[in-house]
Amino acid sequence: MKGGKIDQVSNNGFEPKIVGFLCNWCSYAGADLAGTARLKYPANLRVIRVMCSGRVSPEFVVKALRAGADGVMVLGCHIGDCHYQAGNHRAAKRIAILRRLLNYMGIDPRRVRLEWVSASEAQRFTKIVKEFTDDMKALGPNPMKKVKV
Amino acid sequence: MIGKVRELAKEWLTTKKVDAIFGLRKQNNDVAPYLFTDVKELKDLVLSIDNRICFTVRPSKQNIVHLIQKNSPDMKIGIIARGCDERALIELAKRFQIDLEKIEILGVACTNKDAEECLCPIPYPKTIIIGEKAEGVSLDKIKNVESLLGKTLEEKAAFWKEQLSKCIKCYGCRNVCPMCICKECKLEEDLWVKSGELPPDFPMYHFIRFYHMADRCIECGQCEKACPAGIPLLTISKLVRKDVKELFDYEAGKDVEQESPLVTTLDETPLKEEAKDVAV
Amino acid sequence: MLQYKNVLTTCPYCGAGCNYYLQVFDNQIVGVLPSKTHPVSQGKLCIKGWNAGDFVNHADRLTKPLMKKDGKFVEISWDEALKTVAGKLTEYKEKFGPDSLATLSSAKCTNEENFLMMKFARAVLGTNNVDHCARLCHASTVVGLVQSFGSGAMTNSIVELEDADCIFIIGSNTLEQHPLVGRYIQRAKEKGAKIIVADPRIITLVQIADYHLRHRPGTDVALFNGMMNVIISEGLEDKQFIKERTEGIEDLTETVKKYTPEYVAKITGVPAELIVEAARTYAKAERAAIVYSMGITQHTTGVDNVKSSGNLAMLTGNVGKASTGVNPLRGQNNVQGACDMGALPNVYSGYQNVTDEKARAKFEEAWKTKLPDKVGLTIIEMMDNAVKGNLKAMYIMGENPMVSDPDINHVKEALENLEFLVVQDIFLTETAQLADIVLPATTYAEKDGTFTSTERLVQLIRTAIEPIGESRPDWKIISDLAKLMGSIDFKYNSPSEIMDEIAALTPSYHGISNARLEEGGLAWPCPTSEHPGTPFLHKEKFTRPNGKGQLFGIEFKEAAELPDKEYPFLLTTGRVTFHFHTGTMTRRTALLDREVPTGFVEINPADAEKLGIRDEELVSVQSRRGKIEIKAMVTDRIPENIVFIPFHFAECAANLLTNSAYDPVAKIPEFKVCAVKVEKIK
Ligand code: SF4
Ligand code: SF4
Ligand code: SF4
Ligand code: SF4
Ligand code: FES
Repeated sequence: MKGGKIDQVSNNGFEPKIVGFLCNWCSYAGADLAGTARLKYPANLRVIRVMCSGRVSPEFVVKALRAGADGVMVLGCHIGDCHYQAGNHRAAKRIAILRRLLNYMGIDPRRVRLEWVSASEAQRFTKIVKEFTDDMKALGPNPMKKVKV
Repeated sequence: MIGKVRELAKEWLTTKKVDAIFGLRKQNNDVAPYLFTDVKELKDLVLSIDNRICFTVRPSKQNIVHLIQKNSPDMKIGIIARGCDERALIELAKRFQIDLEKIEILGVACTNKDAEECLCPIPYPKTIIIGEKAEGVSLDKIKNVESLLGKTLEEKAAFWKEQLSKCIKCYGCRNVCPMCICKECKLEEDLWVKSGELPPDFPMYHFIRFYHMADRCIECGQCEKACPAGIPLLTISKLVRKDVKELFDYEAGKDVEQESPLVTTLDETPLKEEAKDVAV
Repeated sequence: MLQYKNVLTTCPYCGAGCNYYLQVFDNQIVGVLPSKTHPVSQGKLCIKGWNAGDFVNHADRLTKPLMKKDGKFVEISWDEALKTVAGKLTEYKEKFGPDSLATLSSAKCTNEENFLMMKFARAVLGTNNVDHCARLCHASTVVGLVQSFGSGAMTNSIVELEDADCIFIIGSNTLEQHPLVGRYIQRAKEKGAKIIVADPRIITLVQIADYHLRHRPGTDVALFNGMMNVIISEGLEDKQFIKERTEGIEDLTETVKKYTPEYVAKITGVPAELIVEAARTYAKAERAAIVYSMGITQHTTGVDNVKSSGNLAMLTGNVGKASTGVNPLRGQNNVQGACDMGALPNVYSGYQNVTDEKARAKFEEAWKTKLPDKVGLTIIEMMDNAVKGNLKAMYIMGENPMVSDPDINHVKEALENLEFLVVQDIFLTETAQLADIVLPATTYAEKDGTFTSTERLVQLIRTAIEPIGESRPDWKIISDLAKLMGSIDFKYNSPSEIMDEIAALTPSYHGISNARLEEGGLAWPCPTSEHPGTPFLHKEKFTRPNGKGQLFGIEFKEAAELPDKEYPFLLTTGRVTFHFHTGTMTRRTALLDREVPTGFVEINPADAEKLGIRDEELVSVQSRRGKIEIKAMVTDRIPENIVFIPFHFAECAANLLTNSAYDPVAKIPEFKVCAVKVEKIK
């Protein structure tokens, strides 16, 4: 579920903060594998391990964006592989609604991305993280983050 | 029209088709819900689009019909329902809140004027017993919706920041909503919404309501009418409802048999391919 | 068969007077349902209203009369309780004279009950020692506006605010304390009105304000004078209105001369340009309304502040027409009514003076007894006299001076020094704990009667459920006591009969009866049974005897206690939207208690840094009168050198610190300014 097209403008040295909700059974393992295989991916990603992409309620995503994330990724098992059968089915539907709702509220839906990454897809994992990081660089800082006084 | 409603209510009561009629009654120069059991009282039965018959009782957090049925499980109730009331009943039945078997719906269609005042898309129940089907107000005829869609992302954000900052955290929008029946409401969890903060932090408080309504909102319009701050809450609820229809062919309140897409799998309710991307 | 009913009633919290239905299932309140047709609330409520059914059934409700034996409360029968109270009150009356007794009436109780309480004090006890908490919130309004206009109430109605072109809000956190009034300010803004907020704190209304004047607490007179100086020097006053309808302009003009914006800027801390712009905006508006509340009344200069608001309004011709006026927002649901009913030491109902022979004769005839002619004691004076030993016994109905009054340590000493204290309430409040006898009363949900809202709207409350336990409505208790004390009067079968007596004796309520109120509220003055009520006052002439409004030249005076080396912070007090007054009801309401479970002290980040205080850290706040420990809230909502504490919370009671110095005329204490020090707890 990719977002709309993002113009690749360079955003002078801006390093986005990215929060990734990673499913324990697949993408988290995938990330692990990427680590052991010494595949490079941007250090912008902060990983939060969840037991299933179905665990990620849209409130998590909004809270992350408000708390300072420039982008949020939700990574789960491929359809058919979810350990809880339908967790990722729900994630797929929720995120679809969420992105539209964010748009109505004036929050760029491109800051939220859902992808399926299996435990063996270390390559795919690094590619997606890199892509998303670049996208966030191009989008610039998330205007809805709460600025601490 | 009201004459006909009273007549029919009387007939239902005298023929014992139902044990009670749940409707609106004139009292104290105002209108309030009432459970009619005595035909003599029916002279005070009224219709009013300002008052819903299917509402959540606060702070009991349960629907009024649920409470009545819990109290008198064997009672057969006739409910004088408009389109929105009926949709709420259907959605509640789907969520095991009420028992439709014990309910006879006395369906009343709203007039064009009513529909326009409520911005109602379907101003009639499934079976109209009294009144004539009027046309619903479609999304593209709603000023607030049109003006929101004409805005850029930044403008939308600015608009909602301003609007939502007027919120006095009365919980009124949730309190009146027939679909807000959760025993533990996320709006009351500090993890999401800091207690005691006024106005509640943008956008979580209102986001929660909007999102939770995605597969439930039956477009009764009560939330917006209950908002002391005059925030155009319906604008987003209506758009999200449209999206859910577009994405999943699902409409809350339409059919008891239809399950919410958010609890089914992609095989049962597929996400439509063409609707996946959001145009910005 | 299920008994399901919806009982229309009036909110027991603020003076906005919203209406809603209590939903009742078989004598149990299950919920609150707003009334769609009510003129103010229109199907909306604030969080307190939505939850106003909750405390009624709380497990802490008093259900039986209590008597203190060996320092502990034991349950007794009503019979014993009433006989004991009647006996004791009679005993002290005979031994020490009627003025050794005093009663406190309640702005939470109905008009009928307030009327009975003042009648009880005057006709049965034989003393004018009757007062209530209006002393603490709007005594200065009653006195000040009577001097300016001739009537001490809100001049206009709430909904009219919507059509004002300019609204000047001073000392009122409207959106939080009177949310449903705040709504009409929001609506006015949307219709293009200019909003001026004068408040040291960044209150929620500031978001929609065009001008925010952050004046130092206690400098309101200077601010008003500064604005009037600008208006007069720029010729923006309404000369025709001044000439035809007012007197005293010379004095006013002379006095405000020296209050140039620059001079006032020095006193108040508000930049001179802002004062000029605010003054122009207010003066140039076609219809300008002033909204104020306890922020200006609770000062040693409370009456001066109130009269200054009258000055500003009259100077610009903003009285006597729709969407203008001077609009004090009364905090309690029925503080207007309690004042109207004469639960005050100097007046009978309808503000008829106890020293006026004709008025006294009228009441003596109606009540068939001799009445005292000397003005009675105010709350603060009662406490002083109790400490001195002159006051022997008190009968307190529905008030909690142990949290609400200034200098609580002093109040405690006073109440403990009494020989006999009766408290009648719904919960065992901090005050009730000091009583010898506690009488369990019912809440608004278990009785009939009327409340008068801040806009003078008299509205019904209706019995929704049977009294909880053995509790009884206040009007019944007072009547029974009166009869036990030998009164041949007090034979009421219902509050509606009391209302008939009120109407007969009170000109402004003359045309009011329960039968009429069944159809909807009526705003007084309502002189005849056909009169539709009066949404705004002073249309053609003012209520003062000569029909003219009085302008005053008023000099600025500093507050009684200012920060100094030892106590460097200025403490100001107030409320939060989630709670009400002493918290007796709201802190027993689950949702409200969750929102704000305890008190806090707001302190500016710069001050906090200097003191090494972090957000949410427990700190000590101390004044010359007391010391509390309380959580810090570091926020730039509050300016430097000022701290703010909401006064609802007994465990960190702001009023242990506040100063009981009071306004010389209205005797209202200075809750809004005193000097404190804030320290880190080691
Ligand atoms: S319109 Fe509002 S109140 Fe009605 S169902 Fe939808 S969200 Fe709830
Ligand atoms: S806002 Fe959400 S959690 Fe709260 S009652 Fe409504 S649906 Fe339930
Ligand atoms: S009804 Fe309006 S003011 Fe009340 S909580 Fe909802 S959005 Fe906020
Ligand atoms: S605004 Fe005042 S009267 Fe209205 S519901 Fe709130 S507390 Fe009650
Ligand atoms: S277990 Fe990985 S998405 Fe459900």
